[in-house]
Amino acid sequence: MLASALLLLSFSFANPAASDAPLETFENIAKAADQAREADRLSDAAALYSKAVRLRPSWTEGWWWLGSILYEQDRFSEAEAPFRRFIALSPKPAPAYAFLALCEYETQDYSSALHHFELWAKGGSPGTDALLDVAGYHWALLLTRVERFNEALLLLAAKAQKLGVTPALAEAMGLASLRMAYLPEDYPQERREAVWLAGMAAFYCLKSDFPRSDDSAERLLQHYGQEPNVHYFRGTLLRFQQRLDPAAEEFQKELQISPAHAPALTEWAVSRVEADRPAEALAPARRAVELDAQSPRAHYILGRALLETGSYQESAHELEIAKALAPESSRIRFVLSNAYKRLGRQEDFKRERAAFLALREKDNVLAPLDDKLKSSRETGRH
Amino acid sequence: MIRTTILVLLSCSCALAILCAAEPCSTTFSRQKPATASQFTVLSEAAEKAREENRGDDAIGLYQQALKLRPEWKQGLWFLGILLYDKEQYREVRDLMRRFVSLEPRAGGGWALLGMSEFQTREYSRSLDHLQRARTLGLGDQKEMAEALFYYVSVLLTRFEQYDEAMALLIGLRKSGSSADLLTEPIGLAALRYPLLPAEIPPDRKEMFRMAGQAALADESKKHDEAEKLLLAMTTAYPNEPGAHFFYGVFLLNARPADGIKELELELEIAPFNLTAKLRLADEYLQEQQFDEAIRLADEVVKLEPANASGFLVLGETLVAKGALDRGIVALETSRKLRPATVRTHWDLLRAYTSAGRVEDARREKDDIEKLRRPDVP
Repeated sequence: MLASALLLLSFSFANPAASDAPLETFENIAKAADQAREADRLSDAAALYSKAVRLRPSWTEGWWWLGSILYEQDRFSEAEAPFRRFIALSPKPAPAYAFLALCEYETQDYSSALHHFELWAKGGSPGTDALLDVAGYHWALLLTRVERFNEALLLLAAKAQKLGVTPALAEAMGLASLRMAYLPEDYPQERREAVWLAGMAAFYCLKSDFPRSDDSAERLLQHYGQEPNVHYFRGTLLRFQQRLDPAAEEFQKELQISPAHAPALTEWAVSRVEADRPAEALAPARRAVELDAQSPRAHYILGRALLETGSYQESAHELEIAKALAPESSRIRFVLSNAYKRLGRQEDFKRERAAFLALREKDNVLAPLDDKLKSSRETGRH
Repeated sequence: MIRTTILVLLSCSCALAILCAAEPCSTTFSRQKPATASQFTVLSEAAEKAREENRGDDAIGLYQQALKLRPEWKQGLWFLGILLYDKEQYREVRDLMRRFVSLEPRAGGGWALLGMSEFQTREYSRSLDHLQRARTLGLGDQKEMAEALFYYVSVLLTRFEQYDEAMALLIGLRKSGSSADLLTEPIGLAALRYPLLPAEIPPDRKEMFRMAGQAALADESKKHDEAEKLLLAMTTAYPNEPGAHFFYGVFLLNARPADGIKELELELEIAPFNLTAKLRLADEYLQEQQFDEAIRLADEVVKLEPANASGFLVLGETLVAKGALDRGIVALETSRKLRPATVRTHWDLLRAYTSAGRVEDARREKDDIEKLRRPDVP
């Protein structure tokens, strides 16, 4: 599917630059390569494009087709170099970053793949629907691998909303939900059932089909309730449903299994603040900040709990740290503006409120998935 | 065991027939430098000799050197792939076979070896695609290799939740003589509808899957009493596991429908979203003319899964049987739209249109049935 889409992608290729290479030979070979490609004789086409770009290394289009054909044939290690050459030569290389990243994923050059997916995203994530689906999925897998679970879930949730649940998406969502920093092809096989159940629970929760989500989640708990992250995950599902007290219980159960689980402490605190019991949030939030001083969400929820219990000065301090760690978070700016207001710092209040309004419509990848989804539901943006 | 069988088969001389006329020393580069061509000939002949004399490590080195000189030497790619598969170097085999099938896209054996390597590197989606392509292209008269291929395809189909197709393949494998021991767990997984490979079975429920597999095999051998004993033991040992009462219930429907219904109802208490159990129960209620119960269950299925063709089929059949012809036709038409190749749906529509006096529509369904029955229909 992706391969055919890839071959259909059109680009505004630069004209081949004049060179000292024998023009007629190059043109003949290039023409023969195009004809072979159009006739679906891909191996012949690849050999011809390869010859043509050797004769004229500035031929952008030739590098593109060579990379594309090798990619279509799953010859990923060989496809990398043509895509790199295309990127170096083309004035609009962004789609090739995604293909290069996909090749690097396949050749297990994961850090380069992640970097190139990010460059692709910075270029506006151009490409066909098929490319968006495949690239977004693999990018999410790599984010999971480097423990950026929330961002991975955000990408996967968008795919699941669009495509429905597929075995591959369920597995990817399961890994990220259980905070397992693995790829689908390298996680311990004995965890497969847990990953599958978590993925299904996450998917149905995303679809607001809570009875089915609960069914999978309960099966997960029944067999794997003693393993790390399972109660945490259950807590996040319950919190998403606004079942805040049961959610808090699950976070506490997680802490019995994993006492230094900063996300569980953070989410426990969040559930207490959301249940209008901010005083109960202070202890877990402080502990979360101690354990993970680089977590903007932990500082944020501590700041919010302090604000709601009247400690405005300390609240502003925590929220300023949160802001420094996540300057793009509209939520943090909003609460910080409230803290400044309470402190009578009018100028700071106005600045932060303006920042909040400006950022509100932007995606905030640091927020957990449930916050993101809630936020999109609230604003009607699905 | 499967892996060894494959290697023996792939290594034997007749496996060469799998290659689509893979000529030794063939090349797409017509103009080689004489010295290089000569060097290639020496290396390729030495590689063949080493392989024939079972000097595997030597052969591997020689094939690798020869392939550096001629990267598109098909026979070299193939035999190097087989030798490395034997060494469990699956990534390398996978990459070699990708090159091989790009040169020989109609070589079923190449796709099979590629898919089996991808199975080992746990690229399951790709593996299934490539193994299915090997099935389509065929492996000549390599019966045992075809069985190995079918085994991998069937366990992957289960992992991708295509349980019925997996079960049909596994039972076919058993009938053609594959070891019951090898098939027990895969059949158990497909029967209980768990999307796991045998290697992924949780240790605490391994016995459950074995019992289910043994029961299915006993039932297939017409040893119904033995099958029932196993299923009863399974549901007693694992009373709260989704799938167990479903499988026992389906088994009982043939012999003692009332008991089968009880088991299926029990399944739905444990696993209320087991849509296959709901549909099987709805179908049974339809047979017993308990139309309201059947409609309730089928309706639940299509509400939960609006693209469930079987749900609309059973719903339509029940509505027609109950006399709600128009609503029944609408449901059947939805089912046909979702899954046009199901002959049963077309038969149902043929009868329903006839009852409604829609002669042209009925004739069209009859034509569709004839088309679907022709083996040459794509």
